[in-house]
Amino acid sequence: MRRRVVITGMGAVTPLGHSVELLYRNQLEAKSGVGPISLFNASRFPTKIAGQVKDFDLGKFVGNVERWADSGVNSKFSAAAGAQALADAGLLDNSQVDRTRIGVYLGCGEGIQDFHHLVSLIAQSWRPERRLVDVVNFTKNGLYHFHPGREYEQELHTPTAHLADHFDLQGPNYNCLTACAASSQAIGEAAELIRHGDADMMLSGGAHSMIHPLGVTGFNLLTALSTSNEPPSKASRPFDLKRDGFVLGEGAGMLVLEELEHAKKRKAHIHAELTGYGSTADAFRITDSHPDGRGAIACISQAIKDSGLPTSAIGYINAHGTSTQVNDRVESLAIKHVFGDGAYQVPVSSSKSMLGHLIAAAGAVELITCVMAIHHGVLPPTINYENPDPECDLDYIPNQAREKKIDHALSNSFGFGGQNISLIASRFID
Amino acid sequence: MASSTRRTVITGLGVLSPIGQGREAYWQGLQTGRSGVRPLRAFDVASLPTKIGGEVQDFDAKKFIGKDHRKNLRVMARTIQLAVCAAQLALDDAAIDKAKLDPTRFGVEFGSGLIATDLDELAEAATVSTNCAPGHVDLEKWGDLGLARIQPLWMLKYLPNMLACHVSIIHNAQGPSNTITESEVAGLLALGEARRIIKRDVSDFFLVGGADSRFNPLSMVRHCLFQPLSRRNDAPDKAVRPFDRDRDGTVIGEGAGVLAVEELGHAQQRGARIYAELVGFGSAFDKGRTGAGIARAIRAALKDAGIGPEDIDHVNAHGLASVQSDIWEARGLQEVFGGAAQPMPVWAPKSYYGNLGAAGGLTELCGSVLAQQHGQVPVTLNYENPDPACPLAIVAGSAAAVRKPYFVKVSFTDLGQCAAVVCRKWE
Repeated sequence: MRRRVVITGMGAVTPLGHSVELLYRNQLEAKSGVGPISLFNASRFPTKIAGQVKDFDLGKFVGNVERWADSGVNSKFSAAAGAQALADAGLLDNSQVDRTRIGVYLGCGEGIQDFHHLVSLIAQSWRPERRLVDVVNFTKNGLYHFHPGREYEQELHTPTAHLADHFDLQGPNYNCLTACAASSQAIGEAAELIRHGDADMMLSGGAHSMIHPLGVTGFNLLTALSTSNEPPSKASRPFDLKRDGFVLGEGAGMLVLEELEHAKKRKAHIHAELTGYGSTADAFRITDSHPDGRGAIACISQAIKDSGLPTSAIGYINAHGTSTQVNDRVESLAIKHVFGDGAYQVPVSSSKSMLGHLIAAAGAVELITCVMAIHHGVLPPTINYENPDPECDLDYIPNQAREKKIDHALSNSFGFGGQNISLIASRFID
Repeated sequence: MASSTRRTVITGLGVLSPIGQGREAYWQGLQTGRSGVRPLRAFDVASLPTKIGGEVQDFDAKKFIGKDHRKNLRVMARTIQLAVCAAQLALDDAAIDKAKLDPTRFGVEFGSGLIATDLDELAEAATVSTNCAPGHVDLEKWGDLGLARIQPLWMLKYLPNMLACHVSIIHNAQGPSNTITESEVAGLLALGEARRIIKRDVSDFFLVGGADSRFNPLSMVRHCLFQPLSRRNDAPDKAVRPFDRDRDGTVIGEGAGVLAVEELGHAQQRGARIYAELVGFGSAFDKGRTGAGIARAIRAALKDAGIGPEDIDHVNAHGLASVQSDIWEARGLQEVFGGAAQPMPVWAPKSYYGNLGAAGGLTELCGSVLAQQHGQVPVTLNYENPDPACPLAIVAGSAAAVRKPYFVKVSFTDLGQCAAVVCRKWE
């Protein structure tokens, strides 16, 4: 029999609060974390709104903040949420457990580029007569103006190394970056590392912020973002007929995954069990998901098969639900394909209606939401659901949280470029 | 522990390296012992402190990619083009009939890193949004005038996951697709993960690779700021000197290494040529960079393979050629292999082309797979004066005969992420 993997710790830094409790409670109250962008002057961008993390102070979560002095917010958010998750699991400064058996697997996004220096140096090096950038000038000035430490901290392996080093986690150390599927994929593969015997505990999840000039520029150019700037709280409207794109969010979600017997032996509190994992690729286009939901259907089916549960056991779906036209239609289609007539009985909601889209970090935060829903028996709503879309005709838990006891929840994450991940969290029964 | 008995074998190799493009050219390069480190030609490097590197010269993606997909090359940064082309080479080398491959059981895993933007692509937007003062951009002008002067698909050209995405699209690989972004250890981690996925019966066939190209002005500035790079600009072929007393840092290289790996029965059923079996994998974090983590990763891989240190023919080292990194690695290797009666032969492939970033681990691993095929381990270049701080038996001077069926490949990052893979020659 395969090793069972349970969740023994959780932590979150999100636009709706810097703890798992606040994340969940504010979703139940149907609050929106979306507001005007204040991190930079976005007043002339097509999109001027985002779900920002407010009043974040890393010092409230870790002692040695200097370590992260040159780091981007991705790394800082991961440290804060990681500290919460490890404390929750009783693994902070716990020398009773073998630290070489605790690993890290994140789906953490990249650090933020030094936009102002990059762009001003390009302009200063532009030679209009030759229509090219003078690279000798650019490199000469770049060596002078770019900050070595901050440039280094943008590298993709730095956040996981900080966590391993600071919290003494000497097991396997991974980071994956598969766009919007990253942290879900990290959690799925971290669980597999435990099942395979490579580790007994894994700190897993993700952290990301793309709320910066190049991030908003990139997504605006792809016309992926909502431009319904007024009022900000109404912009993210998954499954609603008038949805017009996603809203960027930022933050981190982190979980401690642990092999069941190991957790029992040290009497750890078990929040839930991770029972199902599916991973597929659309293999279709870099810009669009497959119109029939081919990859999504295979992914959800694979996760359910992995869990060994009947499809009817799934009591709630936390959808990818980005609020783009295509995602919400195709995801609804995929759910109907997998669940058949039962699709209309299973409540579906999108945390992104309240948080915005945390990109690489989205899946982890949404899985945490599922675990809380299993524990408390109240399902978070999809807010801003006002105008039914005939192609999205499922029960989206419109606008108000709903009491319902559930034992198994499915969380979907579909990444730009075609990576699909589904996870299933289940009430722990020994 | 895992109960599955599904075994994973290597059936295809695709390499694009500074010493040769394609499996045979790569082996030729290793055998002749000529360095691929040269003065950089990608752009004018006059302002950079390090002006040399390992370039894949005269690389032309159109030679590798079928007509149907050539139009997509314009949305692929050079890193992605290298990945896609090396994947094609690996698939060709595996001689698989794609029509007989179940697309839902065909996975893709890549190691990749940050991909820097071409400066020209932001130039128009930049010039209308700044007054040329360093560090100043008028964001209102950027929003009003600049943004629309950038190509709509700009961002997609530079996302790290696009290596695997393009490969999965071109080859209709609908199984798991992952992108490991863990610097120089990314390739080995991707390989270990693909093996686990095959073991647990989710996939039968995988393209696993790593690719990286940092020969553009932005990346090179960044790396010159934070990587210990050699300053031997006047003697490029002598610059990368792993474990040598006079080493002064690595150089940046570019390339791609991709393996076709598959479940043993799947390979046998189609009569595939099998190079080697992936028999062991281990990974760890080396806190404090003592070498203990490197040793732990190697021991885990040996245990997974069910063998001991004495069964290993040679170590394919990380061998970065920076002063500290090589000492650190030597400690790790000593901890595992130091007790043996015969000193363990150590080969450092980076001496040929420098640090290929996320492409390094698997490109280097391919070198040992080929060494097994040809019965000899190539020399480590530029190993002239032993460093007492690195007491290792470096393969240097002349090639070493392969005597045993197993080798171990080691990779690690500057921060301490480590991995080791053990392969057994297929016989």
